Amino acid sequence: MKKIIFTLLAILFSTLAFSHGPTPQKVQESVTIAASPEKTWEALKNYSEFEKIMKVRSFKDKLMKAKYELIKTDVPFSDYNAQIRVKKGENDNESVVQWTARFYRTYKLNPPIPEGQDDATAVAAVKEIVGPGLAGFKKSVESQ
Amino acid sequence: MVKQKKLSIFNLKTSNLIILTFFLIILYLYFSSNVKKDHISKAYITNQGDNTVSIIDLETLNTLDTLEVGVAPLGITILQKKKLVFVGNVGTDDISVIDAVNDRLIKTIKLGTAPLSLTSNSEETEVYVTDWFQNNVLTISIEQMRVTNSLNVGITPSGIAYNKKHQYQIISNRDANTLEIYTKDHNLVKKIETGNHPFGIYTEGDFVYVANVYDDSVSIINLVDWSTYEFLVGAHPYNVRVHNKVAYVTNTVDDTITIYDLDSKKTIKTLDTGETPENLDLNIKLNLVVVTNWGSDSISIFDIQTLQLLKEIKTGAQSRSFGDFILQ
Repeated sequence: MKKIIFTLLAILFSTLAFSHGPTPQKVQESVTIAASPEKTWEALKNYSEFEKIMKVRSFKDKLMKAKYELIKTDVPFSDYNAQIRVKKGENDNESVVQWTARFYRTYKLNPPIPEGQDDATAVAAVKEIVGPGLAGFKKSVESQ
Repeated sequence: MVKQKKLSIFNLKTSNLIILTFFLIILYLYFSSNVKKDHISKAYITNQGDNTVSIIDLETLNTLDTLEVGVAPLGITILQKKKLVFVGNVGTDDISVIDAVNDRLIKTIKLGTAPLSLTSNSEETEVYVTDWFQNNVLTISIEQMRVTNSLNVGITPSGIAYNKKHQYQIISNRDANTLEIYTKDHNLVKKIETGNHPFGIYTEGDFVYVANVYDDSVSIINLVDWSTYEFLVGAHPYNVRVHNKVAYVTNTVDDTITIYDLDSKKTIKTLDTGETPENLDLNIKLNLVVVTNWGSDSISIFDIQTLQLLKEIKTGAQSRSFGDFILQ
């Protein structure tokens, strides 16, 4: 059932805007963590789960900003770059972790776009990484 | 009786004077506002994520207006003398033309194919558009406001720039790692190799500068003897501008711009921008470098002399502005 809904959504979105053209896609999601930004940032630098899918490009301590590139190859998107930032929350013991991913669909030539290689498929696949990824990180930090 | 007459004359003069003063004030206000409007420097930011163009006053550093254009606007060029802004919409395969005096959309030109980047000739009689999917460069006549010519070029034509000195049209072929140089009559002068994944172009005098995205470098090509030189910048550079023998380059993955001295061949400074800085343009009159930040939906404005950040201004979603986007 989930697959059918997903396919229908993919068809729907692929016929809407951004169905073609050289347009990079963006997925940006945030999670609030009950820990200070400093603690969350340190935890992020030592968190190995993200590195199963992404390679660290840089850690900028001053900006609390980590840059990643993709190491997984069997994915329905391409040219993926991402960054994860740790920002201040509403109080000293709260932080907001924001994950921003930029990528393209796999098919870059003339329309028609083959099924499974379009923007909607690429966005859905990245969301499958970002959402659960942030939830897992939150759980890990808050249980420490 | 005499006294009364004098008084009435005096009264008439006073009222005339008041009317005249009002008239002069209105005239002054009318002309001063017009003069100001004509000379204002503005940045036009294409927001690919929400189908708008943000218009920024570069003198006060405030947003003046946000205009709805076609779907997924990306490329841009400005006719400085005619005060017209051309925006390429890759989602609706058309071009939005904005009158930069009143900041109103005045025309939509249908292309039927995705416009990636735009430039114009020196006389501002023609706009050239790279057509990403069909590997063409389209010519738009400004007088007719329609496509009047289509030239087949190498694969994935990406950046385009017009060299005023040599009257050349210059195109980067992203997936072929080449630059193609054409005469204004569309004859191929030269095809020259660049670094890997050439994208944004700048040209002035005898030189062309192109950002090589996958090589983290910029190639400089001499249009007279065809010699080349390459220098390293930050990660995934997208575009380059040059002024007074200094190159300004956006590093999309580093969230920085590189400022490189072309004489001493050294990086002068690397400045932090917003997230995913894609394109940049200069305003020499006001000493500004304006950078579009795709990732943070904003622009960063730096002082060209002090290299200090003056302001980061929010725009629409996914701001890009690939091309010349400042009305000088």
